[in-house]
Amino acid sequence: MGVKSTREATMKAILDLAREDEKIVIISPDAVAAARAVPFQQEFPDRVIEVGIAEQDAVDVAAGLATTGMRPVVISYAGFLTMRACEMIRTFIAYPGLNVKLIGLNGGMLGGEREGVTHQFYEDVGILRSMPGVKIITPADAGQAYQAAKAMMEIDGPVYLRLGSGREPEVFPEETPFEFGKIREVMSYGDDVAVFASGFIMNRAIEAVEQLKAEGVNATLIDVATVKPLDSKGVAAVLERCNCAVAVEDHNFYGGMSSAICEVACHFHPCKVRRLGLRDVYPRSGVAAELLDAYGLAVQDIVDAAKDAMSNK
Amino acid sequence: MTTNDLQRMANRLRLDVVETVHAAGDGHPGPCMSIADIVSVLFFEEMKLDPANPRWPERDRFVLSKGHACPMLYAALARKGYFSMDELPKLRTLEGILQGHPDYNKTPGIDTVSGSLGNGIAIGLGMALGCRMQKIDNYVYVIVGDGEQQEGIIWEAAMAAAKHKVGNLIVFGDCNNNQSGGKVTDLSSLYPVADKWSAFHWHVQTIDGHDIDAIRNAIAEAKKVTDKPSYIECKTVKGKNIPYMEHNNAWHKRTPTAEEVEIAREALRGALWE
Repeated sequence: MGVKSTREATMKAILDLAREDEKIVIISPDAVAAARAVPFQQEFPDRVIEVGIAEQDAVDVAAGLATTGMRPVVISYAGFLTMRACEMIRTFIAYPGLNVKLIGLNGGMLGGEREGVTHQFYEDVGILRSMPGVKIITPADAGQAYQAAKAMMEIDGPVYLRLGSGREPEVFPEETPFEFGKIREVMSYGDDVAVFASGFIMNRAIEAVEQLKAEGVNATLIDVATVKPLDSKGVAAVLERCNCAVAVEDHNFYGGMSSAICEVACHFHPCKVRRLGLRDVYPRSGVAAELLDAYGLAVQDIVDAAKDAMSNK
Repeated sequence: MTTNDLQRMANRLRLDVVETVHAAGDGHPGPCMSIADIVSVLFFEEMKLDPANPRWPERDRFVLSKGHACPMLYAALARKGYFSMDELPKLRTLEGILQGHPDYNKTPGIDTVSGSLGNGIAIGLGMALGCRMQKIDNYVYVIVGDGEQQEGIIWEAAMAAAKHKVGNLIVFGDCNNNQSGGKVTDLSSLYPVADKWSAFHWHVQTIDGHDIDAIRNAIAEAKKVTDKPSYIECKTVKGKNIPYMEHNNAWHKRTPTAEEVEIAREALRGALWE
C-alpha cells in the first residue's frame, strides 16, 4: 500500500472544476501552501483570496462572497476552522444555508501527529455534526478525497471535507466509486460482526478484518465516508445483518462517526456497538503509526473490540 | 429627496421603531435611533435597490453589523415596500417574518444574517469582492457600532479589506459611545478610533451622524476613493430625538409603554408633520 496526499487530490479536483466554473474561488487564511493550492494559485491568481492568518475573517468573507453567487472554498486547518471560526460557520454559513465549502486539514491524531495537540484535531466532526445544515465527508484516502471533493462541489450548501496530513495510506484502487450520503461495503467475509470505519484509519480496519478472518471471524467492513447526513437506512440494514458492530475513527470518543452509528443503533436496531477512537484525552506528539497504536487505535485493538462485540450475541 | 424630506423620513422611522417595539413588547429601540439619519440617506436616496426584486444581482448591498438595531432596518424596508407595514408589530413572533436579529431567508431585503457582533465588515468585504469579481458596478454599505469594534474580527477584516483595495466598501461607524454594559470609553480603550482606521490604510472621515448633508457629502467623498475602503466615523447620540431615550443607556433594550409612545409621537410631531 502506497501513500498519497488527500490534500493534493482534493485541490486537483477543485482545480479541475474551477477550469469549468469561474465562480469557484479559494479563500485562504495563509493556507495556500498547506492545502497544496499552489497550482490553483498559479493558474488562477485572481481567484485565490488571501486574508492573512485570520480564519474567522476567512469564513465571513466566504459568506459574503456566497451571497453574491460566487462559490467559495475555504481552506484551513480543521481545528482553526471548526473551533476558532466555529460561530462564523454556524451563524453566517450554516444558518442562512450559503453555498460555502470548508476544507479542514490535519483531521485526527494522524493528521497532526508530530505537531502535537495544537495541530491535531479530533473534535471537528462532533462540532459540525451538532450544527443544523452542515454536511460532513471524511474520505478514506486520496482517491476517495478526489471524488469526494467533486461530489461536494455539486451540493448547493455548506459541506465540510475532512483531510489529513498529506501522508495518507492509499487503500482503495483509484476507480473505486464514491457516492455522497451512502455507506459502502468495502469487504464482507460474513455477518459475524460489522466494522464501521471512517477516514484515514481505513487501512487499519482492513488489516483488522483480514486478521479476524484468519482467526475464523467473518466480518463485514463498511466505509462511512459521509458522516452527515448519515445513511441511517444503510447502517441499520448492516446492524440487522450482523447484530453487533465495531465503529472505528480517528476522532474523540464523543460526537463523531461512532456516536452517529450508536444513535442509529438505538433507534433502529439496538445491539452491542464497541467504539474505538480517542478516549477523551489529549494525546502527545509522535510518529503517526506509533501514536495511533499508543492511543487505542492499533489493529489489535480493532480485532479485540470485534471479538468483544460478538461476545453478547 | 430634499434634506428636509430625508430628515423627516429619519424621524418617521424613529417613530416606527418606538411603535414596533411597543407592539412587539421586545427589542432594542435605543440603538436604532442613532443610525436613523444614515439609514434614511442610504435607503431613500443613495442605494440602488429594487424592492420588487430583493435579490437583484446588480443592487447595492447593506449590512447592519449591529444587527440588534434591526427594527430600524425593518421600518426602512417596510416603507420601501419590501413587505407590508403590518409586519412591524409582529416583530419577534412566530407569526411574523421579522426575526429578533436579521435573517437572510425569512425577510425580503436582508442581504445577510447579522447581530453576532463584529462580523459585518468581513461579510461586507466578501460581498465587495464578489461583486467586483463579477464586474457589478455597485457599493456595499456597512453600519458597525462603536462598541462592537472591540471584537478582534473587525481588525482582521480591516487588514484584509485594505489589502484587497475594495473601493466599493463603505463602512459607517455609529459612534454613540454606548454599548450594552455602559460607556464604550469606560469599557475599552477603543477611542480615538478614527486614527486606528487610518493606520489600517482606510480612507477615513469624521462627521456628525445626524447631519443629512454631511452624510451625503461623506458618501460622495468615499466614492471618489477607488483603491481604499472607506470608514466614516459618525458622531451620534444613542436614543437620538426620543427625549427619554437620548443618552440613556437603559433604553438599549427596553419596551416603551403606551404613554412613552405618545411622548415620542409628540416630540417628533413637529419634525414629522411641520
